[in-house]
Amino acid sequence: MSKNLRITNNKFIDQTTRISFKFDGKTLYGFKGDTLASALLANNIHLVGRSFKYHRPRGIMTCGSEEPNAIVQLGNDPSMTEPNTRATEIELYEGLEASSQNCWPSVKFDIGAVNNFFSPLLPAAFYYKTFMWPANFWKLYEYFIRKSAGLGKSPTEPDKDIYDHRYLHCDVLVVGGGISGIMAAKTAAKNNFNTVLIDDKNILGGNTLFQQNECFKINNSYSNEWLKKEISTLNLFKNLNIKTRTSLAAYHSYNYLLARENLTDHLDFNEKKNKIRQRLWKIRAKKVIIATGAIERPLIFNNNDRPGIILSSSIKKYIDYYGVKCGQKISLFTNNDSAYETAISLSNSGVKVNSLIDIRDKTNSLIVTQAEKLGIKIHWKSTVVNTNGYKKINSIEIMKLSDDGTAVVESKTKEQCDCLGISGGWTPRVHLFTQSGGKLKFRDEDNVFLPDKSDLDQISIGSCNGDFELDDVIKNSVNLTNKFLKVNNNDYEKLEIISSKEIDKKNIWLLPSDKPLGKTKPFLDFQNDSTANDVKLALREGFKSIEHVKRYTTTGMATDQGKLSNMHALGIIAETAGVKMGELGTTTFRPPYTPLTFGAIVGRNVGKFFDITRKTPIHDWHVENKAEFENVGQWKRAWYYPKDNENMYDAVQRESKAARDSAGILDASTLGKIDIQGSDASEFLNRVYTNAWSKLEIGKCRYGLMLNEDGMVYDDGVTTRLSENHYLMTTTTGGAANVLSKLEDYLQTEWPELDVYLTSVTDHYGTVSICGPNSKKILSKLIPDLDLSDKKFPHMSFKSALIDNIKCRVMRISFTGEHSYEINIQSSYAKSVWEKCFEAGKEFNITPYGTETMHLLRAEKGFIIAGQDTDGTMTPVDLQMDWIISKKKYDFIGKRSLYRSDTIREDRKQLVGLLTENPNEILEEGAQIVAKTNKKPIEMLGHVTSSYFSPNLNKSIALAVVKNGKKLKGQKMFVPMKNKTINVTITDTVFLDKENKRLNA
Amino acid sequence: MLNYNPPINEAKNYSELKISEIEPITKINLRGKNRDFITKIGKELSIIPPSDPNTSSGNEKLNILWLSPDEWLVYSNDKIYLNERNALLEKLFDEISKVQLGSVTDVSDHWVMINLKGTKVFELLSSGCPFNFNNFKNSKGAVTQTLLNHIDVIIHNKNINDLNIFVRRSFCEHLWRWLNDSARFT
Amino acid sequence: MFLINCPYCGERDQSEFSAGGEAHIIRPKQPTELSDDQWAEYLFMRKNIKGVQFERWNHAHGCRKWFNMVRDTSNDKIHAVYKMGEKPPIK
Repeated sequence: MSKNLRITNNKFIDQTTRISFKFDGKTLYGFKGDTLASALLANNIHLVGRSFKYHRPRGIMTCGSEEPNAIVQLGNDPSMTEPNTRATEIELYEGLEASSQNCWPSVKFDIGAVNNFFSPLLPAAFYYKTFMWPANFWKLYEYFIRKSAGLGKSPTEPDKDIYDHRYLHCDVLVVGGGISGIMAAKTAAKNNFNTVLIDDKNILGGNTLFQQNECFKINNSYSNEWLKKEISTLNLFKNLNIKTRTSLAAYHSYNYLLARENLTDHLDFNEKKNKIRQRLWKIRAKKVIIATGAIERPLIFNNNDRPGIILSSSIKKYIDYYGVKCGQKISLFTNNDSAYETAISLSNSGVKVNSLIDIRDKTNSLIVTQAEKLGIKIHWKSTVVNTNGYKKINSIEIMKLSDDGTAVVESKTKEQCDCLGISGGWTPRVHLFTQSGGKLKFRDEDNVFLPDKSDLDQISIGSCNGDFELDDVIKNSVNLTNKFLKVNNNDYEKLEIISSKEIDKKNIWLLPSDKPLGKTKPFLDFQNDSTANDVKLALREGFKSIEHVKRYTTTGMATDQGKLSNMHALGIIAETAGVKMGELGTTTFRPPYTPLTFGAIVGRNVGKFFDITRKTPIHDWHVENKAEFENVGQWKRAWYYPKDNENMYDAVQRESKAARDSAGILDASTLGKIDIQGSDASEFLNRVYTNAWSKLEIGKCRYGLMLNEDGMVYDDGVTTRLSENHYLMTTTTGGAANVLSKLEDYLQTEWPELDVYLTSVTDHYGTVSICGPNSKKILSKLIPDLDLSDKKFPHMSFKSALIDNIKCRVMRISFTGEHSYEINIQSSYAKSVWEKCFEAGKEFNITPYGTETMHLLRAEKGFIIAGQDTDGTMTPVDLQMDWIISKKKYDFIGKRSLYRSDTIREDRKQLVGLLTENPNEILEEGAQIVAKTNKKPIEMLGHVTSSYFSPNLNKSIALAVVKNGKKLKGQKMFVPMKNKTINVTITDTVFLDKENKRLNA
Repeated sequence: MLNYNPPINEAKNYSELKISEIEPITKINLRGKNRDFITKIGKELSIIPPSDPNTSSGNEKLNILWLSPDEWLVYSNDKIYLNERNALLEKLFDEISKVQLGSVTDVSDHWVMINLKGTKVFELLSSGCPFNFNNFKNSKGAVTQTLLNHIDVIIHNKNINDLNIFVRRSFCEHLWRWLNDSARFT
Repeated sequence: MFLINCPYCGERDQSEFSAGGEAHIIRPKQPTELSDDQWAEYLFMRKNIKGVQFERWNHAHGCRKWFNMVRDTSNDKIHAVYKMGEKPPIK
């Protein structure tokens, strides 16, 4: 059967290269250049899917991105299968496998089709209305609804394909490679604009490419021949970049556009490997010319959804471009002239056209006359009132229209056919224009929304701008382009154009039938199965806004986003509600224009490139020594170093004990470091920290708390005075970038008079921290000539030193409460210094420890971690750190907020220590704290912020924030957990060495 | 002796593209606002820091890149030995920072310099950089600070199809891997 | 995605910038002399209008300079950018 559906004399399909593919498990053949849809039609396969709600058989309806029915599952590999692809856009390749969606067990016998017989019981919003009550039945409903609904299957394994992103900057971007787009791109390129022309098809030319008709001629050539010559000149321009198979997905403000280029989707299965499958272009264009054309409208009549009912212009493309006959006995049904082009094409290719049914009174345009000459029978002022055939159309029923078009009159005639072409006029593709924020206007004479005002540097030309006749398209495109680009291009001024002009227009949104409305099925949204009746019901039920009707009936909400259905829905709503369409407006067109794969959206930001990783200069040592790593922001930090199959708990216990008993070593390179210079550096620090800095001696270090203007703790760290006007500030690991940005903000905007310069040196220095009672001995081995006596080098001071002739800074500061030193040396030598410390410390059992042990050790001392024990609602007073707030300073960031009525409340949450009644019980961080467990509702007084088992105290310790906690010291509290309640006592925050004896040990 | 550990120490060749980390060169961050600062720098380095945005100045030894109206990055063309670097830094610090004309900070190990060479460098950059290189491409000495694969970078157009990219050391391994992954497809 | 004309570096992609809220809110010189209400006015109250708004932006991944912007929040049109300390070119 397939043989006689393919005509042989065409120019676009390579009929010498046969391609085998599988559809629903059956092996079929097509040719190079086919789409899956054209190949299926050539095999006489129309039925490709079932509709969403009623599971009615549905066939291929279009030849492009607006396809609502031929939605197929592509491939069956669990990592590469792709649902919801449009058969009309898939280029055929060797090895392609596709299957129907939304049908079970098969497209030919679908159990869900019983819904069709119950359809009177399944009105708009049936699911919303029915499955509301009782609420606890929802789980049951959901199971069955999900099983029977759904469009396609998601892949279950990670995508093996490669995707990529590219940025592109151009002067002029032309979207759409039809006749007007080609002329505009050539004009732009010729006038030295850096130009990009994109088109979603594999070949430029649009519909004119196969328009070989006496009624459309340019300079005495058929329009297709003239255009082909134009296309052949494009490659002369080096500044013109042409991208085919590239569809524009989104048009954002400031002429920022996203386009997806398909690079391998059309290749044979074996040629796809190791190549980028799709590339997302991020385009920034100075000027945008939209030439996206128009979509043919269907007609809305009873049973207009049967397989074999196809848009008339698509039938034309299938015969003229693909050489495929959509049927052997084709009828055409129209309200405008364009179906006559189809009739002529079919007739010229030897396909029988039964008749043309035209809702208009007899009209005499050039093309109609030509069709009549060919002997095609025309039913004027008539309509199709019904179609028959379950899995494929087999006949239509025709009746005359009344004068006002609201009813049918006279007798019914039946016409046998195996395909019905329908044409309801044209809808300009204004999607991109509106996505970019452009406002539309309505043209009453042919019911189209057209681009009106836009804030961006853009124009729409050709049929997307409402020009549907060849001469208008050319003349207006040329004028608009010249004006837009401010050029005088007269290449196209003297063209002699022959173009058939449509004389009569008539439109009926919902065509009448001999049956009453409730008994008919005039489909609007073919994919979501909503009918004109559903829309009318929504209006009867009180919905007025177009956006509400859309959501209630789901019209236009399927994967095709209502490309075919929106205009009719609007028309019917306007008519029923008695308002003008122009006033009703449209629903919002949102990106993407056609669905994007997740792969294209994420590009190469997957796997190891999912997130950025930062590494310290000592990282390799940690890896070699089997450290487990923790993510701290983007940093990879050594978390703990398990030995002999230790788990994390055991490793941390061992590391913590070693650090206090003898010596520990920590990589602190991730701390933020800011170099501060300038004559006002001390004054600057006074303003940004809560404590006073003017009197800090040169060579001394001081701990500082930084607040937000609202008085809440923002960051903390130690700052060292290197010389009179030179400080080195450290920040928390996570806060580094934000602190620098905040400080720059104050310097640039609030205090520009201050002579202060900030420079980040975070990455310049690696920081090795050694702590414990033997740290002094280790350092003296490393830097023998440095006097480490408490007198010469006391706690909270710094020394410049040389290690093997390399300069470094040694700070005697401590985050663990132990005697400890931090060596800052330029990063290239940090690993070597670390190794030297490790070597020197071997005799003292120096133990590398990670962030977890660091957290435990500081918790024993009650030191806070900004961001763990604070959460943006804690003042220094809440943290019981009143000592750090200078009373003398007139102002500092956040000072005024410290005595707002809210911040001086005594019952704020305050930082306290917690001890468990059972010393072996470790609290969970985040656990809630309550005072009573019997009386409901139970008031939550606070929560645990840090919790560890302390090997040095041999008991569990925790920090917590508790309402009015300061006054509750010694009180018993409860921490209710899932299976038990833990008894705790509120204590001081310092658990170990309250006298700070160890600092000088 | 302490061992020197370079962050990458590698060079990779692709068709029409070479990516390499450059030997430890000296990098100094300069900040200052007034004319005396500019004059003093000019005197000390024999190069005037450029005042035009997105530009650089330089001689056979050093380059000065504009970073902001009061910030510049100085980098040496070749490796400078540590003692020499320290002497240069000390001298600048004494002449600028100590007399309150601005700030001088050693950032030699803060930044890692990666050199990209070949006709495909801009194609490579376009896979992760929102910056418009159309004019930059043809202006020798142009400088930009932007994002490359979401990482802050300074890009110096040293010569035709010969770029130096500065990236913070902690990010450099990630960026290095990303550049090489991108190079597969350019 | 905006194209922002940094007053120092020129036109750059929005991803290089970070937004910093309403502009021309001056930090009081003598906060200690303000009542709770006056301080709260400075600290918390922001206009967030639909229409032309004055905003602070930072060229965070470029020159790190803060500047002001006049932007229409209803259509994202940027009417002007100007340096800190300069008078808005549009009222």
